[in-house]
Amino acid sequence: MLTGFRSLPPLFEETPNSVHELTLARDIFEHAVLLSVKIEDQDAFERDFFQLKPYYTDARNRLPESPNEYMILGLNLLRLLVQNRIAEFHTELELLTSTALENPCIKHAVELEQSFMEGAYNRVLSAKQNVPNETYGYFMDLLAKTVRDEIAGCSEKAYDYLSINDARQMLLFTSDQELLEYSKEEHPEWEVKDGSVFFQKAKDSAPCKEIPSLQLINQTLSYARELERIV
Amino acid sequence: MTQDVEMKEQLPPSNSLSSSSTPSTLQHLKEIASLIETGAHAREVRRIVRAVRLTMALRRKLKASLLSAFLNSVLTPGSDAHARLVLYLPKEDEHDMEVDTASSITQAPVKHSLPEIEIFCYLLVLIFLIDKKKYSEAKACSSACIARLKIINRRTVDVLAARLYFYYSLCYELTGDLAEIRGNLLALHRIATLRHDELGQETLLNLLLRNYLHYNLYDQAEKLRSKAPRFEAHSNQQAIISLHYGTNCILLQFCRYLLYLGKIRTIQLEYTDAKESLLQAARKAPVAALGFRVQCNKWAIIVRLLLGEIPERTVFMQKGMEKALRPYFELTNAVRIGDLELFRSVAEKFSSTFSADRTNNLIVRLRHNVIRTGLRNISISYSRISLADVAKKLRLDSPNPVADAESIVSKAIRDGAIDATVDHANGWMVSKETGDIYSTNEPQMAFNSRIAFCLNMHNEAVRALRFPPNSHKEKESAEKRRERQQQEQELAKHIAEEDDDEF
Repeated sequence: MLTGFRSLPPLFEETPNSVHELTLARDIFEHAVLLSVKIEDQDAFERDFFQLKPYYTDARNRLPESPNEYMILGLNLLRLLVQNRIAEFHTELELLTSTALENPCIKHAVELEQSFMEGAYNRVLSAKQNVPNETYGYFMDLLAKTVRDEIAGCSEKAYDYLSINDARQMLLFTSDQELLEYSKEEHPEWEVKDGSVFFQKAKDSAPCKEIPSLQLINQTLSYARELERIV
Repeated sequence: MTQDVEMKEQLPPSNSLSSSSTPSTLQHLKEIASLIETGAHAREVRRIVRAVRLTMALRRKLKASLLSAFLNSVLTPGSDAHARLVLYLPKEDEHDMEVDTASSITQAPVKHSLPEIEIFCYLLVLIFLIDKKKYSEAKACSSACIARLKIINRRTVDVLAARLYFYYSLCYELTGDLAEIRGNLLALHRIATLRHDELGQETLLNLLLRNYLHYNLYDQAEKLRSKAPRFEAHSNQQAIISLHYGTNCILLQFCRYLLYLGKIRTIQLEYTDAKESLLQAARKAPVAALGFRVQCNKWAIIVRLLLGEIPERTVFMQKGMEKALRPYFELTNAVRIGDLELFRSVAEKFSSTFSADRTNNLIVRLRHNVIRTGLRNISISYSRISLADVAKKLRLDSPNPVADAESIVSKAIRDGAIDATVDHANGWMVSKETGDIYSTNEPQMAFNSRIAFCLNMHNEAVRALRFPPNSHKEKESAEKRRERQQQEQELAKHIAEEDDDEF
């Protein structure tokens, strides 16, 4: 159907009812994006979003602004964050104007990224309570999982041991059982005894005192070779 | 009004002053044109490069009357190009023009016009229009010229074409319609690639990158950059050669490319690479390009801050840059101290500067580094400190500062920013004793990287050594001539002796 319209990207032909057609196409893609969130399909989301994007960028001057625009852009930012594609996240961010950055949906994602980078994970989790739109729920759940992995990774480096109770709270499990299963699956090197979780094994063993002889020989030989070439 | 003033300035001394200054400039232009002509006939690109450089020196002296006189002398009046170009020139001093036309026609009977000359005329008119801020005419003129350039396929035009592409993009940028010509630039880039026009390719690639970055389209810019053919090592060498020749257009293009590359990489969080290209751009840029160097330095400072380095004070004290770099200096100071409050106030104070430089988003990213530095200072000065105190010292403003501090500390530990452990039960952070760094492999690694850098530099310098292509040959031919003369003399002697013998 849409392929029949000559006014759509990439042709952008000026036809009498081009505005109408463009708006229609944009609405369709917006719905497609939202639908993909509802059926929790990230690949479909990405695909639909890229199809929608030209309507926000290249067709900006021809169309009245869409009420859903910022919400969908924010969703996309969140998706990149969840998939840990931070470079793309920042690339997308550069495209936004300062007024867009003030929008609650965008601001939400930007603040999440900041807290995420800093390591203030509980701020990320508390943000879940005040999502600007109910569609954000899906990605926020995914984000919670990412955050849990991050916390687990940080904890094993930062603590010698944690009581099971504390560990359960930090990793956001509701029961000890879940925690035990998680540690068994994701971090088999954690040791659980005396009501505490020990991270001793996960740490690097003491730095080896051996001299890296092979490497040294290689380096010295390369210096000799280079110097010979100069002299 | 301005026209009137110009008229008055020109008319009264027209007999005395214009006869002395205008003809000399005109003479210069004609010399340049003949230089181009010989260059075109001999197919020597070098001559044309020189011609372009000479033209730039005359830029300030260009006047409408002068230009039309020049056009009349080198282009066939009534030819297509001539008719079109004359249209763009403002007719402010008819009288002056007629005199010149008459004289020049009688002086120089017009020869057949080379495409090089035609393009050169376009270039002159375009520069003149831009300098006089007649942007709409400039746009029309450049578009006409680009259409013409697409048809002409001659190596000797490439140098002129590259300049024209630049001004073409410039006049669209000045009127704010850069997006319009993107498709055209892409087409030109394709043509240049097909014709192996390297200078044109590099110029156009830069213009395209500039075009994309103007609209913050970093994604597209990066895609184009990674796909477009590049002569990286090659152009590094060429840059050095061109320094020998005194033509720095290739060098300039390379510098610009480095700046754009640095920007793209910064946005995509590849800070180490970004720093390298930005610093290289800043170093390679000619001293005269102050604005360019300031821009490079600004980005380089931010990238270094993001990498956790603190730029030296000398960076901010470079000649002519102190004022422009002032906001960045204060920012660096805030990061160095690790004071979130100070950082926030600096960012607010100079927010207009930062948004004009389009570095605002990068500055937001820096917040995280400020926290890191603050944390590192704390970890060095205390062997054990409660998390509540850490939160207070970092001035974290959040509903639950202790929990925040705890997770921030643990992330810093994981990322290796500080060496410590957290005791959750007691709620404190214990810093580990810092070991003697000389007992590790660290010094050796540092030594190795420096030596490798020096050796690499030496090798590159050796590889880049080039000699002008002809001097070698000429020297040889001189020697040969001497040899030949000697041989001839000997031969002559022989003949004479033989003659003597016979008789």
